[in-house]
Amino acid sequence: MDADSDVALDILITNVVCVFRTRCHLNLRKIALEGANVIYKRDVGKVLMKLRKPRITATIWSSGKIICTGATSEEEAKFGARRLARSLQKLGFQVIFTDFKVVNVLAVCNMPFEIRLPEFTKNNRPHASYEPELHPAVCYRIKSLRATLQIFSTGSITVTEMRPFLHRWSLGWPWDLC
Amino acid sequence: MACINPVPKLYRSVIEDVIEGARHLFAEEGVEEQVLKDLKQLWETKVLQSKATEDFFRNSLHSPLFTLQLPHSLHQTLQSPTASLVIPAGRTLPKFTTAELGTSNSRANLTFSGYPIHVPAGVTLQTASGHLYKVNVPIMVTQTSGRASILQHPVQQVIQQLGQPSVPQLNPCCLQATTEKAQRMETVLQQPTILHSGTEDRKHLEKATSDTLVPPGNEHKIASEALLSQPESSQYIGLPGVVFPPQVSQTDSNVEPVVSVSASMIQNLHGGPLFKGPQGTRDQHVSDVQLHLLKNRKFECDSVKQPRNIEEPSSLPVSEKGSNSQMDLSIQVTDDDINEIIQIDGTGDTSSNDETGSTRDVDENEFLGIIDAGDLKVLEEEADSISNEDSTTNSSDNEDSQIDVVEEDPLNSGDDVSEQDMSDLFDTDNVIVCQYDKIHRSKNKWKFYLKDGIMCFGGRDYVFARAIGDAEW
Repeated sequence: MDADSDVALDILITNVVCVFRTRCHLNLRKIALEGANVIYKRDVGKVLMKLRKPRITATIWSSGKIICTGATSEEEAKFGARRLARSLQKLGFQVIFTDFKVVNVLAVCNMPFEIRLPEFTKNNRPHASYEPELHPAVCYRIKSLRATLQIFSTGSITVTEMRPFLHRWSLGWPWDLC
Repeated sequence: MACINPVPKLYRSVIEDVIEGARHLFAEEGVEEQVLKDLKQLWETKVLQSKATEDFFRNSLHSPLFTLQLPHSLHQTLQSPTASLVIPAGRTLPKFTTAELGTSNSRANLTFSGYPIHVPAGVTLQTASGHLYKVNVPIMVTQTSGRASILQHPVQQVIQQLGQPSVPQLNPCCLQATTEKAQRMETVLQQPTILHSGTEDRKHLEKATSDTLVPPGNEHKIASEALLSQPESSQYIGLPGVVFPPQVSQTDSNVEPVVSVSASMIQNLHGGPLFKGPQGTRDQHVSDVQLHLLKNRKFECDSVKQPRNIEEPSSLPVSEKGSNSQMDLSIQVTDDDINEIIQIDGTGDTSSNDETGSTRDVDENEFLGIIDAGDLKVLEEEADSISNEDSTTNSSDNEDSQIDVVEEDPLNSGDDVSEQDMSDLFDTDNVIVCQYDKIHRSKNKWKFYLKDGIMCFGGRDYVFARAIGDAEW
């Protein structure tokens, strides 16, 4: 109904999570001792490495799997991941940058109107689930997009999904619903 | 005001303990006692040289002392000093009336607690060590930020060093007695000079006083030589506390006109090899003093305040005066109140960790703390076990994903990806070695709760039992 006035919606990507593999075993202790800006969590067996340039935090396992979080766009995520791999390479590991995949993209959006959650939930039975005692937002899952939206009564929406470029599309969804 | 620096004492005690502990071991091995002594000597020298602690040999006194001698005649040869005023740093020197100036053989002891000290003309200053300086023009001795500093006097000043006592006394308060035996050295400074009031405690000097007595014969000799070389002298007064930027308009080419002298010059004077050991006799050439001051001037070091002998090793090729007098310039200015310019409160507490960005990253790495040998083993075992697992899985994966590997972009050896340009940015020498109670991080805000550590900051060592710090990454 309000699809026309949709134009000026801002969707802000706040977080992009990606993974990649280095295809080689990483000596966590060596990374912890020699790497810059690292936090060694020995109890869980991982090293956190933070980068400044693209503000990202990478979790590094000794198996060579690395999860990279905190980027604000997919390109930045890839860029940061490569940089990270590069710094690991400099530490002496035979790093190959493979299997880069964006796992999750988190975006927020604000609707200019309030949403009545109980009604909304009733109208969107299978997709929306609302448990006010657990969480104040409606959790709306779009299976086809593999996206999850959290809709708050204030109108702000949080979208998390696997394929980032589908954000806008998924956001258009609740417009129709409301 | 001056807080007692615990570091030198701690280091001393550590040295003592180790040496004692090793003594019987050495004896068992059949190594000579002398070796142990040499070791200790070497250790102390290295500690001094590293300038890690200030006033390594400072023992007790903290009050800088100036003995102000009411002036006698203005001629260059000095007579036995007469009145002497003991001036601890901190107070303004009251004006001297001309009547006082005129009197000789009158003794007045005044104690001044601090700087600045205004010294009117015609006054003879004697530092606690007994060196005498005659001030022909009014000068102002001030103390800047804990250190004796010198105000540059617009008028050309001629400061003559009246001499020095041959027996510096351990008790800085009683140096006047030595004045009568004082050597007289005269320095003629022809340009605005800066008078440094005692900056450092010369404890070690005091300790060594007994060894540094100048036999009276030498004194006379030196005095005469001083007189002889008077017109050409470009002497500096090598007072640890007093720095006269040597300004010799006359002869010596070695002497450069001194424009400004930082307060720390005197310390830098001893920037070279420092305390040679309490047992060493302090032989010093008069000319050495000059060169010392020269060097001081050049160094302009402001961070090191350590008691130093004025004496520079014989490497100084001073022969201006041509005097080979062996004179002990055991200048002891017990000016303990005048500390370094850098004043870091307490024992490096909260501020220390926040000092600079350079320390931050160091701190981040430091929090890893001390890894026990046991931990190391565990770590390596972990790594080994994991690597074993991984190798098996990897081998299976490799075949599957080899195609994938080829398809992915290679890392291009960093051509595309710019390198971590900040990696070496904070490479620093400021290090903290400690244990940690807790390291906490929220987003990019870090909090450190450290304990039992030594911080090397700006070349100096600070020891702490607890340290709390905040940092932002």
